[in-house]
Amino acid sequence: MQNKYSPLHILVIEDQIGYFILLKGYLNEINVNITISKAISFKEAKIVLQSSNNFDAILLDLSLPDVENRETLVENIVVLAQKAPVIVLTGYADTVFGFKTLSMGISDYLLKDELNLAQLSKSIHHGIERKRVESQLRESENKYRNLFDSSPLPMWVLERCSSRFLSVNAATVDLYGYSREEFLGMSIKELWAGTDDPETEILDLIRKDGFFKLKISHRKKNGEVVHLKIQSNPIIFDGKEARVALANNITASLEAKLALKNSEKRFKALVQDGSDLVMILNFDGNLTYVSPSSKLVMGIHADLLINYNLFEFIHVDDLEQVKESIAMLQIKKRVQIPSYRIKTSKNKWKWIETILTNLYDDTSVNGIVANSRDITEFMQQEKELIESLKRYNIVEKATSDTITDYDVQNDVMHYNEGMELMFGYSKAQISSKGSWWDEKVHPEDTERVKNKVDLIYKKGHGNLQVEYRFRCADGSYKYILDRTYLVTNEKGKPLRMIGSMQDITEIHNYIETIERHNDRLKDIAWTQSHVVRAPLARIMGLIDSLENFEDLDDRAQLLSHIITSARELDVIIRKINSKTNKSISQSRQC
Amino acid sequence: MLKVIIIDDDDIMVFLQRKLFQKCGLAKNPITFKVAPAAIDFLKNEDIDQHFLILLDINMPGMNGWQFLDILNKMKISKNVFVIMVTSSIDCYDKEKADTFSNVIDFMEKPISIENCSRIKEHMLLKEFFSA
Repeated sequence: MQNKYSPLHILVIEDQIGYFILLKGYLNEINVNITISKAISFKEAKIVLQSSNNFDAILLDLSLPDVENRETLVENIVVLAQKAPVIVLTGYADTVFGFKTLSMGISDYLLKDELNLAQLSKSIHHGIERKRVESQLRESENKYRNLFDSSPLPMWVLERCSSRFLSVNAATVDLYGYSREEFLGMSIKELWAGTDDPETEILDLIRKDGFFKLKISHRKKNGEVVHLKIQSNPIIFDGKEARVALANNITASLEAKLALKNSEKRFKALVQDGSDLVMILNFDGNLTYVSPSSKLVMGIHADLLINYNLFEFIHVDDLEQVKESIAMLQIKKRVQIPSYRIKTSKNKWKWIETILTNLYDDTSVNGIVANSRDITEFMQQEKELIESLKRYNIVEKATSDTITDYDVQNDVMHYNEGMELMFGYSKAQISSKGSWWDEKVHPEDTERVKNKVDLIYKKGHGNLQVEYRFRCADGSYKYILDRTYLVTNEKGKPLRMIGSMQDITEIHNYIETIERHNDRLKDIAWTQSHVVRAPLARIMGLIDSLENFEDLDDRAQLLSHIITSARELDVIIRKINSKTNKSISQSRQC
Repeated sequence: MLKVIIIDDDDIMVFLQRKLFQKCGLAKNPITFKVAPAAIDFLKNEDIDQHFLILLDINMPGMNGWQFLDILNKMKISKNVFVIMVTSSIDCYDKEKADTFSNVIDFMEKPISIENCSRIKEHMLLKEFFSA
């Protein structure tokens, strides 16, 4: 507020010197610290105002010698005056025009003829004060405009009745990709992306007075959808009922939330609904989390199981091993517990396998995560397999045969240890090629064996039984009885030949010996029937003659023949005896 | 008229058969050979219409009974020669083999008995020679 002592600088534009003196007198009374400048024409006033405009107020007489159009004069001076209030001095004749000048931006008009000190003082002070307030208002408006324009958050002004944009800030232009000019021809409705948004409700909100906030999806110029949280306040903008809105882009956070939700869903699907049993426990076996699959694996509801200690359910023979594994988590992050038994609701034992992970350093877990899998079925199968393998091994050991397993397709032959024990080949000597076996068969037997094999290949099934000689590592041959079974696929194509080679050399030799004996016995039998019977037949004939023909004159000769024949027979029988003895002693040696 | 020939390497057997045939009226004076080739030679010079009965031993040194039959089979006189195989012991093999020779009409085991002689005389093919 101006007072009598604050310095005051006034420009007086007046061509009449008399009136100027009068004004000067008044002015000096208004303020002791006053400086008065003077211009006697528009031209002079213009020079003064352009060179230095630090006037607090301007007094303007409308009748100047170089002015013809007083409206133009007022307009020009108001522009040149800038912040300084312009007070117009007029005569009676110009009252109407003087009034008109008020609308042209002047501060006040005064009638020259009625001018007095009080009037002038009041007009000057009011003018200055009003200008100051106006200036402050303008500044404040600028400040507001700056805040709006340079806000990092998108802001806009909508006309309430039409929902059309009246103003948008730079952040809005940045976000949507529409230019300021494009916005000013658009309605907010054109941005709405959602089809199911309650449009009329929102338009109602915009029309009504009062604050509101809402979440909405908008489509950008490039088609992308953004999710926004909008706050809106009613304002008067350029004299129109409007709303200023502040938008918060929540697209990223929504996406993050969605991603989190999906991740949670996945987690649920994997952990909660999976068949594996997931538990969180501490080093003492106390449970803090049990997945719902406990019902599936153990037959115990998760809510019930969580009240117990895991160790209570573990088989006493396995407990030590489980505890040791858990203790290892002190030094290792992850430990696998080999199969162990766990009690189910029906007091039966199930085999499970568990992977333990120490997640004490993860605050959301703060414990040991145990992932367990029901392996009961697997264990049973394994047990059966082991038993079957044991049986097979026993059979394989029990048999003295060489077992052959030939992969027909890949020409790979596997042997059991019989190939080493029976034939004396070292592991290094044995080749898995089928040809290695082929060339060990005695050349005289090769053709016969090959024919037999071809025959079952042709039939596509069945057993093969064939005898042949097979060469040993030392070059000698063993007599083999081979029984082979052909395995084919469903189309009858040969896949494998599994066989046993039985060493029948001993049996063969035995048979040979028996055959030799038989020959000897046949020889003996022949000798008996032919050689023995020759002298015997003679004796019988001679005796017959003696009996039947009593008139024989040469009885003495007949008797002599009988004795000769009897001796001959004796020699033959002794020979047979010694031959038989020899044969028996030979066979005993065999 | 039937001529009887005995082929046997055993002297005593020949002596006995000869005696028996004389006593039984089978042959007054049978022709005897100790070796088979001699009999072949003999037959070569005989009239092919002459009928012969040969008592043939199987096991003989040199040419045995079977070899003799092989040769006889190829001779012209063969159709009029009847052979009775005489052996100290009969085995199946010998009997089967004898069947393959058309000349062989019977098979006898030593020693030949009086009953054997009667059988010869009544044999279908020989009967006519002894009826007179």
